[in-house]
Amino acid sequence: MGQPGSIFCGSADHGLSRRGFLGAASAATAGTFAADMTRLDGLKNPLLAGEVKRQQKSVILLWLAGGASQFETWDPKPGRPTGGPYAKIKTNVNDVHISELLPKLAQRMNHTAIIRSLNTKIGDHGGGASLMETGRVSDPGLIYPDIGAIAARELGRRDSQVPDYVSMYTSTEGRRKGTSGFLGARYAPMFLSDKQIPDNMHRLDAISNDDHKDRAALRDLLSKRFTQSRLSEKINSHTTAYSRVHGLMSSEKLFDIEQEPESVRAKYGPRQFAQQCLIARRLVEAGTPFVKVARAWWDSHGQNFETHRELCADLDHAMSTLLDDLEERGLLENTLVVTLGEFGRTPGINASLGRDHFANAWSCSLSGCGVRGGSVYGKTDPDGNTVADGEVGAAQVFATMLEALGIDHEKEYMIGARPIPLADFGAKPIKEVLA
Amino acid sequence: MSWSDPTKLKRVKDFGISGIAFCVAREPGSGKLFFGNSDFKVYEVDALAEKPAPAAFEAEGHQSYVTGVVRSQKQLVSGSYDGNLIWWDSESKKPTRTIKGHERWIRRVTVSPDGNIVASVADDMVGKLWDAQSGETMHTLKDHKEETPEHFPSMLYAVAFSSDGKWLATADKVGHIVVWEVASGKKAAELESPGMYTWDPRARRHSIGGIRSVAFSHDSKLLAAGGIGQIGNIDHLGGPSRVEIFDWQKGESLHTIEDNELKGLVEQIEFDPAGNWLLAAGGDHGGFVSFYSVETGKLIKQDKAPMHVHQLAMNDDSTGFFAVGHGKIAHYEFKSDSPPGPAEPPLPEDAA
Amino acid sequence: MLRASLTFATILLCANLPLRAADLLPADQSMASVIDHYVDALIKTNDVQTAPQIDEYILVRRLTLDLAGRIPTTDELHAFVSADPATRRAELADRLLASPDFIDHHRNTLQLLLEYPDRRNDNDFRKYLLWAAEQNRPWNQMFRDMLAGDENDEHQKAALQFVKHRAKSLDDLTNDTAILFFGVNVSCAKCHDHPLVEDWKQDHYYGMQSFFSRTFLTKKQGLGEKFYGEVKFTTTAGVEKQAKFMFLNGSVVDDGTPELTDESRKKYDALVKKLEQDDKAEATYPDFSPRQRLVETASHKDNNEFLARNIVNRIWHRLIGRGIVDPPDQLHSENSPSHPGLLDWLARDTVEHGYDLKRLIRGIVLSNTYSRSSEWDSAAQPPSPHYFAVAIPRPLSPRQYAMSLLVATRNPPHWEQWLTKSAEDWKKERGGLEGAANGWANQFEIPGDNFQVAVDEALFFSNNDRIDNDLLRDSGDRLVGHLKAIEDPAEAVTAAFEAVNSRQPTADERKAIIEYLASRTEDRPAAMKQVVWALLTGPELRFNH
Repeated sequence: MGQPGSIFCGSADHGLSRRGFLGAASAATAGTFAADMTRLDGLKNPLLAGEVKRQQKSVILLWLAGGASQFETWDPKPGRPTGGPYAKIKTNVNDVHISELLPKLAQRMNHTAIIRSLNTKIGDHGGGASLMETGRVSDPGLIYPDIGAIAARELGRRDSQVPDYVSMYTSTEGRRKGTSGFLGARYAPMFLSDKQIPDNMHRLDAISNDDHKDRAALRDLLSKRFTQSRLSEKINSHTTAYSRVHGLMSSEKLFDIEQEPESVRAKYGPRQFAQQCLIARRLVEAGTPFVKVARAWWDSHGQNFETHRELCADLDHAMSTLLDDLEERGLLENTLVVTLGEFGRTPGINASLGRDHFANAWSCSLSGCGVRGGSVYGKTDPDGNTVADGEVGAAQVFATMLEALGIDHEKEYMIGARPIPLADFGAKPIKEVLA
Repeated sequence: MSWSDPTKLKRVKDFGISGIAFCVAREPGSGKLFFGNSDFKVYEVDALAEKPAPAAFEAEGHQSYVTGVVRSQKQLVSGSYDGNLIWWDSESKKPTRTIKGHERWIRRVTVSPDGNIVASVADDMVGKLWDAQSGETMHTLKDHKEETPEHFPSMLYAVAFSSDGKWLATADKVGHIVVWEVASGKKAAELESPGMYTWDPRARRHSIGGIRSVAFSHDSKLLAAGGIGQIGNIDHLGGPSRVEIFDWQKGESLHTIEDNELKGLVEQIEFDPAGNWLLAAGGDHGGFVSFYSVETGKLIKQDKAPMHVHQLAMNDDSTGFFAVGHGKIAHYEFKSDSPPGPAEPPLPEDAA
Repeated sequence: MLRASLTFATILLCANLPLRAADLLPADQSMASVIDHYVDALIKTNDVQTAPQIDEYILVRRLTLDLAGRIPTTDELHAFVSADPATRRAELADRLLASPDFIDHHRNTLQLLLEYPDRRNDNDFRKYLLWAAEQNRPWNQMFRDMLAGDENDEHQKAALQFVKHRAKSLDDLTNDTAILFFGVNVSCAKCHDHPLVEDWKQDHYYGMQSFFSRTFLTKKQGLGEKFYGEVKFTTTAGVEKQAKFMFLNGSVVDDGTPELTDESRKKYDALVKKLEQDDKAEATYPDFSPRQRLVETASHKDNNEFLARNIVNRIWHRLIGRGIVDPPDQLHSENSPSHPGLLDWLARDTVEHGYDLKRLIRGIVLSNTYSRSSEWDSAAQPPSPHYFAVAIPRPLSPRQYAMSLLVATRNPPHWEQWLTKSAEDWKKERGGLEGAANGWANQFEIPGDNFQVAVDEALFFSNNDRIDNDLLRDSGDRLVGHLKAIEDPAEAVTAAFEAVNSRQPTADERKAIIEYLASRTEDRPAAMKQVVWALLTGPELRFNH
């Protein structure tokens, strides 16, 4: 066993200084990656020509966890028995009205498309969230990747030096990390829960920067022979993971909003959700293709109107500031901002002045990249009990998001002998909300 | 002659209404009620009729939930989430004056004992005193913060006059209570009842609760605030109904009553004119009416109301009341033919 | 319990003939040679180039990882390479199969399989699996324990957690049972006849489901079964049908439900409701138990091809990295086994030897197919994996990796006496290791078909203080502490390689590390830490290769 020949890859100088050692080792590893990047795990579809263009696109998903009320957001029904106390207000788009709880967003409707005709049927948190995250009903024996993993896979670079799927979910209720399913852990989210900065991004004080880099170079050097003589995507993923460490460590500051000028931080303000939107903007600006900011918990079984007064104020401010910021930086045309949750809330108002789970007629919104701003798709009946026009399910929303990003929603991943289209079989994008 | 005796509490009758009744005013000497509803309308109903039939004020009125209605001589004054105060002629049932009272949602309207001053509170976080006849603003009362400590919009829910008409109390979501001198519109005292406000920093990251009701004792010395205690899962109103009684001039908290038997928000408090008991009504998915001893804070008697009670109107001699709320109106009585002995609540069973 | 008479209306489907005997190799031939016969025959027919056999270092590592769930200690390594080449492999396999290591590891791998896809980590179920691994409990009995065990038996009651965990979802019960015990995924057939697989009709899906449809969880967290109840479904043509108690091969179990009057139905409904709501209600069971019937039917000699082939294929997959039928939940006529004869022979052998999993595992690991190298140095394209001509590198399971990290980073002399330790003492030590592995195992992904190492793992090893404070501690009880005391750098490098990579370094590797150490003489312990870190984080430790 063992191949003869220098593992120093051309370096004949054995009187190595420590820096020299490091340099040679890095050179030795470079070739390995170039080869690795051309193949991906059993999934058909190598890198395509259109990739470069798509790579500039990003998604920020504002996940309204627990289920926001369509009545108090995108589909107000004032004056109806189901409508609640809040009025509807004009927006900066003719004939489009939204709840008075979203006055700032009303002035930015030219960026936003509303879908008012979701009928997704699943009314429990876990099932609903899974459905909306993956665009399909789960299937035993196969774990589907969520929209974040698909975006990371389709929009990211395999050797990316920034995280390509970041998922923030601070509240503990209904906390979900997100899943890359059969796309594998390469596309799993970098998950932030209690802390705003990811774990293990920072070099320990106990180890010097030189040692940290040297040992990584030593590792690469010692691994090279092993990886080169085995054709395994699983092994390659190990190499890739370690190759991304130093790049990701240098992206730690992306999570630090103190790096932003005071004037920008002041716009986002003191609340956590908005600050997480600022982190999302920093990440997207640096090339991260997918960021999910979960805002939990909208599950207003009691006191729906008080809850929405607070949470809509949070959404209104955070999302408006985000849209403005993205636009000012020229990022909005390449960044799709989605508001979505697991379902909406019942037309009926219960004795605790709450609304309960409701998946039969609810709304979501898409803004920015690829979206026909100011458009409204679909309609519910006057009381919001049913979809009256343009009924769509999770799969169509999924296909629409992909299409807005320039990703072919019919593209298939091959899982063994099974072709799995990105959006569920037969799902068509909602052309009416696409630019 | 009859005397009030909470231990005799009984529901005389209840009947269904459509929608949610948030507020009620009663015409003295009768069972005629005026109530404000979630269908944006004000209704009149004779609750003592065999088959009570609510009749709406059909004229163009409010554009949102009607959250306050009071009587001032022949007039009614109502307030709503639409921010408007409307004066109605109670006989013709037509509006006589509409005023943009507040920038945001009006949460409650009350009237001074002599009927001359109307007070309103709203989510613009100001209280306002109005001349009931002219509709002029007498005072604008500003002390409640617009934001909660966590930087979310706050809400101003509760308002009440003292029986002598000298004082007005207002109370907000985070448990801040202010007593105002009515004549001058100046702040006379402030109190805090932070236990009424639940901020969940971890699981759900929003808040629930707030002081929903205030009331002065008939001698004006005591001030009670009602709401809900700390809640674990703020998706629901699953916290103890809560009343805190203050000697407001001394700034002392005398009793904090937290009742886990019948949970939810205390939406209204009424004091016994004789000073023995205090009535608290409200609810969660269900409802409650509870009597507590003013002296000891102990429970005297309670009933699981047939609906979440939003407001109630006492009868002339405080031996009964009409409660309005979620889909129902209920008539209660608690009277006895002989004067009560010294107020002594029965010991709770587990302490006996 | 009364048993209703049972008849089988056996409808044989073309793809799933019962196990054939006639054209298979003789039953009494050694399993290893049978495996090599079938595998080599296909290789020969297609003129496929193969990788060479692995050397003794990789062999002891591979065997120890597969049978003990950890890498070998330096001592085990030395003992094996110096033992008699003619007998050492079988001896090692037998020693490990009889060791407490195997029991733990076998339990851990079964748990990963049976609790798939989520990490429930149910303590009772883990205990059951440990007990079953200790007994080498026959697989058909485990199948019975898990699906229709006796609640009054301590072990079988724990086994029933399999059903209890899924009792709230009839679909989960149906699908997971079909996937895990029979190797078939019939979920597509719920809504329509399976689009890709001729075998699976809606009749099959709802047939399977009907065996579970009466199962419910009592308030006391026991398993109940209702006294009556049918599964109805609507075909894609819109016709409503009542499902039969139909097994996957079409065998139909007679419905032993007694004729019930409306009145007695009401009585039974009330009884079930009481059991669901009242934790003091006394459990009553019907005479006709569909779940029991499923177990009987699936285990019956006329129908056991699913049960037997599935477990053979699953164990093969575990040890080889790919199923004879692959993926292992697609055992049907449209997805032929790569080696049908081999699958049938192994299934027949397994049935005939009482579903003895140890025997099956032993047979596979002693074959030359098992001990091929994973290296492919040739310029030619590697052969398709279904030939088993080159070994498939397998990522370590979270526990295997955790245990291996713990074994590697202990001071090697710590393990010295262990070969001479009593079984009891070793069992205790091994138990401690299992416990210590818990906290580490949670850091790693459970490998599935599309496994990739997450960058989180690389960041964890790069920057988490547990690595520095625990694995890389330079105290005397740790590998780094041991190495820093060795004066001769060459000797230290060898010790490090043997402890972590279970082999000796090549000359180049030795030279490179000595050069590194020479550049870092001012702080030898720190330099040693970096060397050990570089080895611990290498792919060579991360994979069973």
